[in-house]
Amino acid sequence: MTTQNTHLHIKGVTKNFGDMRALNDIDLKVERGSFVCLLGPSGCGKTTLLRIIAGFEKANSGQLLLDGVDIAQMPPHKRGFGMVFQSLALFPHMSVADNIAYGLKLRGVKAKQRRDRVDELLNVIELPSIADRPVSALSGGQRQRVAIARALAIQPKLFLLDEPLSALDAKLRDNMQIELRQLQRKFGVTTVLVTHDQTEAMMLADDLVVMKDGEIRQSGSPATVYNQPVDMFVADFLGAANIIKAKSSSAGNISLLGVETHRKTNLSPGLEFDVAVRAEHIDLLATDPTTVHPTGTVEFMRNLGPSIEWIIAVRGEKLRVRSNASNPSNLEVGQNVDVSINADTLSVFRNE
Amino acid sequence: MSLNLSRPRMLAFSLPALLAILPFLGACFYIFRFSISGEKGVIDGFSIQPYLDLMTPFFGRSVWVTFKLAFISSVIVMFLAVPLAFLLATLKSVMARRILTVSILLPMILNLLVQAYGWIILLGPTGVLNTSLREFGIIDRPLFLLFNETGVLLGLIQTSLPLAVFPIVSSVRAISREHLEAASSLGAGHWRTFYDVTLPLLRPGLVGAGSIIFAFNASAFAIPLLLGGRRVQMMGVAIRDMISPLFNWSGAAAAGMILIALTLGVLLFANWLLNRTSDKKGA
Repeated sequence: MTTQNTHLHIKGVTKNFGDMRALNDIDLKVERGSFVCLLGPSGCGKTTLLRIIAGFEKANSGQLLLDGVDIAQMPPHKRGFGMVFQSLALFPHMSVADNIAYGLKLRGVKAKQRRDRVDELLNVIELPSIADRPVSALSGGQRQRVAIARALAIQPKLFLLDEPLSALDAKLRDNMQIELRQLQRKFGVTTVLVTHDQTEAMMLADDLVVMKDGEIRQSGSPATVYNQPVDMFVADFLGAANIIKAKSSSAGNISLLGVETHRKTNLSPGLEFDVAVRAEHIDLLATDPTTVHPTGTVEFMRNLGPSIEWIIAVRGEKLRVRSNASNPSNLEVGQNVDVSINADTLSVFRNE
Repeated sequence: MSLNLSRPRMLAFSLPALLAILPFLGACFYIFRFSISGEKGVIDGFSIQPYLDLMTPFFGRSVWVTFKLAFISSVIVMFLAVPLAFLLATLKSVMARRILTVSILLPMILNLLVQAYGWIILLGPTGVLNTSLREFGIIDRPLFLLFNETGVLLGLIQTSLPLAVFPIVSSVRAISREHLEAASSLGAGHWRTFYDVTLPLLRPGLVGAGSIIFAFNASAFAIPLLLGGRRVQMMGVAIRDMISPLFNWSGAAAAGMILIALTLGVLLFANWLLNRTSDKKGA
């Protein structure tokens, strides 16, 4: 992480709406050419942060350094950032070509070159023959791509997207995520995307920024944030996590579901705390009274196609378990089963 | 159709309204028939004489004054109504919105005569405005704001403003903040965004409102009569004079047909203009 590679540096940005603090002292570095996802529940401030980057909102304090230059006071139309809006906001009174060319027209690009650039972009988004159609004649996925093309046409310094895929149905969304990622790589443009969908964020992001209550809880690569969440909120928000009560044993190990594990802890013996376990990190085994594994009961199961999920009641906890390579696939509701948790995958949080 | 009614059923529900429109269409036909009557007082025979009799400088001036005042008042009303519509569409407080709505609509509840007398009290030679201006020593002799085109124009603008605001409000509501921000992110400043995005999206509402105002004011009668006296011969006044002192029914009918033709012509032109500009293509 050298400073030369920092494209956008958000430095101590705070934003209030009346008495409500929307963003509290946000610090974030966006690497050149990287894809950053701002992830969090609604009201966490992720959209406000994106709108501050775009210039549609002014921060109450803090700096917005683009290549080291503070642009916090620059109006949005001078920033040269391409933005894709949640509603897409295509201009209904213009054709597809006019929509895509609008930013170029404002930059004084000649009609011939505008047309070439529009054709080029329409080829990139694989819709070569829709240039003269009105926007109202397009399907949801086509509009999506046109909105992306319009934002990229101006060769933006930053590419900003505000939940652009949330209006699409699941299958189309999945395809668009792949396309979006490929487009971003192809253009090499520094990108910030806002989403509340953790799978979308996981699949798109180079850097994942998890936000809550106007603060950044954790940022890092998707793998890091997923496997080493810093707190319970992050663990819970990123995919199915089980939060289980644990204790530190007299030997200094973590004790879980009444079973002492080999995982060491420096918490004082007898202390209670919470741990998070991913649903896919729990193994289910055939009941065997000779082992130490606690025995539970299958309470619920659902077949998701590529995987199966169970809810296992064990020692007062209800564990959500997802099938992995070692789990048996022939369990039935009501059946007893032994539960084994790989202690190395635990995330440990002190109770506050 | 969101109501999801079958065509015959929709027709059935529309029947009362259609029946109410029918007498009006009948009256239009009656006037048309009268305008080609051979006699001035009754419908008898066919002649285009009533139209030929109207080809006078006097009536020509009347057509011109009608067109001019209706057009100018429409333009001014649009300029007044657009900011008002934006204000109304963006007011957050329900109470403030209600108060503003009622204030805009109030003239529609008041009789036109009452409104006209209001203007006379305000603008007359010994009216509120002239008296106060004289007392402050700003003017020596009263300003003549009544019984001329200025007075009529003021009256037309005031009485037709409410009709313009609400069609524009619904157009303003259809413009989302994200449309304006999208233009801004692509490099458009405030005025450019207004010209390239706001105005085109407002266009249907503007043309609708403009058409209503033009038709309303071109056919105005009470306002030009009361605020213009006999000096501002808009067609409504001219037609009444043909009937009342002159008993020239066929002439009045012919003038009425010309007024309808003038208004329809302008509305069709506005519509044509709208279609032409909104179909414009090319990157």
